[in-house]
Amino acid sequence: MMILQTLRRAPLHGYALAQFIKRASEDLLQIEEGSLYPALQRMLKSGWVGAEWGISARNRKIRTYKITPAGRKQLDRHVSSFERMLDGIAKVMKVIES
Amino acid sequence: MNWILARLRQRRINRELAEEIESHIAERVDDLMDSGMDEVEARAQARRDFGNATLYLESSREVWSSKWFEELGQDLRYGIRTLRRTPVFTAVVILSLALGIGANTAIFSLMNAVMWRTLPVRDPQQLWVLHLPQGTSSQGFLFHYSAMGNEYFFPYRLYLEMRDRNQVAELAAYSGVRLNVSVEGSLEPTADGLRVSGNYFSLLGIKPVAGRMIAAEDDVVPNSHPVAVISYDYWKNRFGLDTSTVGRTIWLSGTPFEIIGVSPPEFQGVEVGISPDIYVPLSMQPAVTPVVTSGVEGTGVDRPWLQIVARLKPDIDPQDAAASLQAFYTPDQGLPGITDRRVMLSPASAGVTGLRQQFSETLFILMAVVAIVLLIACANIASLLLARATARRPEIAMRLALGAGRWRLVRQLLVECTLLAIAGGAFGCLLAQLATRSMVAYMSAGRSALILDLHFSVRVLLFTAAVSILTGLLFGIAPALRATHIDLTPALKNRTETSGGRSSLRAGKVLAVAQIALSLLLLAGAGLFVRSLVNLNRQDEGFNRDKVLIVRVEPKLSNQRNERGVPARLDRIYTDLLQRIRAIPEVQSASLANVSPTKPESGASAGSLQARSGERVAVSAQVVYPKYFETMGIPVFDGRDFNDQDLTESSMRVCVVNETFAKLAFPGEDPMGRPCVGRDSTRFGVIVGLVKDSRYTSLNGPTPPVIYQPFLQANTLRGQMILHVRMNDEGKPDFIATRIREEVWKTDKEVPQFEVRSLAQEVNAVLVQQRMIATLSTLFGVLALLLACVGIYGVFAFAAIQRTGEMAIRVALGARRIQVAWVTLREALLLVGIGIAIGVTTILVSGYAASGRVSKLLFGLEVTDLQTIAVATLLLALVAALAAYLPARRASRVDPIAALRHE
Repeated sequence: MMILQTLRRAPLHGYALAQFIKRASEDLLQIEEGSLYPALQRMLKSGWVGAEWGISARNRKIRTYKITPAGRKQLDRHVSSFERMLDGIAKVMKVIES
Repeated sequence: MNWILARLRQRRINRELAEEIESHIAERVDDLMDSGMDEVEARAQARRDFGNATLYLESSREVWSSKWFEELGQDLRYGIRTLRRTPVFTAVVILSLALGIGANTAIFSLMNAVMWRTLPVRDPQQLWVLHLPQGTSSQGFLFHYSAMGNEYFFPYRLYLEMRDRNQVAELAAYSGVRLNVSVEGSLEPTADGLRVSGNYFSLLGIKPVAGRMIAAEDDVVPNSHPVAVISYDYWKNRFGLDTSTVGRTIWLSGTPFEIIGVSPPEFQGVEVGISPDIYVPLSMQPAVTPVVTSGVEGTGVDRPWLQIVARLKPDIDPQDAAASLQAFYTPDQGLPGITDRRVMLSPASAGVTGLRQQFSETLFILMAVVAIVLLIACANIASLLLARATARRPEIAMRLALGAGRWRLVRQLLVECTLLAIAGGAFGCLLAQLATRSMVAYMSAGRSALILDLHFSVRVLLFTAAVSILTGLLFGIAPALRATHIDLTPALKNRTETSGGRSSLRAGKVLAVAQIALSLLLLAGAGLFVRSLVNLNRQDEGFNRDKVLIVRVEPKLSNQRNERGVPARLDRIYTDLLQRIRAIPEVQSASLANVSPTKPESGASAGSLQARSGERVAVSAQVVYPKYFETMGIPVFDGRDFNDQDLTESSMRVCVVNETFAKLAFPGEDPMGRPCVGRDSTRFGVIVGLVKDSRYTSLNGPTPPVIYQPFLQANTLRGQMILHVRMNDEGKPDFIATRIREEVWKTDKEVPQFEVRSLAQEVNAVLVQQRMIATLSTLFGVLALLLACVGIYGVFAFAAIQRTGEMAIRVALGARRIQVAWVTLREALLLVGIGIAIGVTTILVSGYAASGRVSKLLFGLEVTDLQTIAVATLLLALVAALAAYLPARRASRVDPIAALRHE
């Protein structure tokens, strides 16, 4: 979900994606950068993201990922269900606090 | 193909992922170095941040690959390696599979060609063939050249009426004919011709490969369009695919025809088993068969000689179509005997054939036989595999101990089996190619060559593939399950440990029993068919078939003998011919008759006799020349043969009768000198001779009463005469045949010639099914027996090795060799006994169940003929005992010291 959300902002390559998520989460999420790749491959296979080979600013061959319409739909579904879940958790927490 | 593509894609994905990850780390290193880290540290940090690169690479890759698939590839490679390590085992297995699968494929592709192969025509499912079942036409008709029964033949006039006035279907007609061919003055071998209606090719949707096809305008006015289409094969074989062939002239039965086109190679007419070389329009029938009454003009239009194929209009129900075609029959059609019959439509999408009726029983039985052979082969291989599994116990135990999943191992073993099966299947296909060809040669023995399209079709390939894979699983699954079901510790600890070996032995024994039972079934079956054939051959057909050659001759007008002057003219030709033939030094005697064993129809019924029982028996009248009995080797019991004085029209009418006739007409009296008068007071003359019964049409029916008459005194007969020539001992059939052809040609250039064949060939043609089934079932029976013996031998040889220690102890303790051998042998014989008991039961049960199918093919035997079963049992018991004895003997020869030390 985070990957799709990030890609929705702009197409990115793997490394940039990892750095972005790391920075955006302010290093709260301790994820190994490598774990990004199996996830990306799964999304690629499901058709949620597309990929294109290109050249990075440092003149390296990179693969840039881009969200597809199917990916957007998937993201919306995920986000709304995730929000519902968060909402639910928050309500439960509130009841206990009060 | 898919598999290769998948592998290529997988490789690309792997490469790309590796590149991507590498560039990721490199970027990270650069970033870190930008922020002031030195290179080594930056590299380490980057790797730490990334995590386990190999693991991530693997799991990213797995997203794409089916793991199953990749492992299958590994299994295949491993399987091939393993099999190559044991070449003898592999060769034996592949060979026995190739025999089994090859036999199945061969029979199946024959069945396919005869029964199911779809015609290469447009929309074959719309094609139907017309016929008139119920009874037989009372009208004899002249030498139609087809394997079909009378019910498939229609007169020209009826065909035209149905074609032009029906609302349900388009109808095309055709009729086969043997053609005398000459090209540029030289005599060619005779060719198979087909006279076709003008719409024949357009109805079937056949396009020419050169020139044009026969069209409607070629078939309007009789004898006006001498055009011919030749088949692709004829074009190739006779004209070498020369493009200038179209437009050339070819002489058919003395009339020049222009070759206008070539039919495509895949098209062989609509009748399975016959492949026309030359097609001419129906309207040219009088020209290509000058000797026969024209079938397209005058009275001949009511003579049934055409086969009709219909293309139903869409959405017409075949039953409705038949009913609407039935309306064209009216009693005033001048078709005696067919007014009470109903038009039927049968599907013709797979072609029209009499072979289907003739051979379907045989082929079904053979299919069952080869299936059993394959089962035996499977059992055999399964027991080999069981033995092998025992030998591989340490390997498998090691792999299990190292953590291999049992199912993974089972799958790997099954992959090995499937590999074997596929290799066996591939070789089987090759064998089948050879086998089908020789079987077709066999089936066509004694008649014009049977031409079947035997190219491997998708159906046959699918069949073979399915059979191969099924067999692979069948013989593989039990051994694989057993092999991987191991108690690890003993298996790893001690290589000669026998635990588990016992149970695999038990399985092997069960298989051996099954093999024995199945082989017995096949052997008994083979025995039945062979004995039936022997019965048929031993049966006294009443003539001596060795050294007799026959050739059909048919001079012009020979079907119009009732017309004035014609018989005399024919008689002159025949007498001249006989003189010439008799002048050939190697010819002992020669004569003419209007019948031969496979050509009975001209022996028209001459009336009937009131037998003593009150029942009326049809009498067959046959027309012969003098010396016929001598030539055929039919003994004359009383009186005399015809002589030259009987040959004039004015001489006293005389006849010769056979024993059955004499017995029925003059029971207990001397028939000599009695006058013979038919039912409608036709006069046959005075009986001057009595000859032995002889069989013609069928070798297993009762002999009919026969009256023989000299040619000129015959009452009503038409059709061809058949020249019978007996050679003396120096005669070489081929040489004489050529001489006979030459002499016939000299007598009358217009006489259509047919092949010269020996009488033995003719008789064999009548018995072709029985011979084929007897030969093949014997072949397969022996094959089954051999396979079963190898199986028994294998099981006991293996058992002997397993029990070496035990035997060594027995010997060491003073047991005599023979006692030791007996231990093994006893067990083997017990198994053989059980197998035989099961086999005999199966035979008796299935004999009763299948007697309907099988008994038709048996002559003078019951399906459950005890004598045959007893002989088969004895044979099997002997051979099996031998197979069991060899390992027993070897076991008894064990050297106790060596064996025990090894232990």
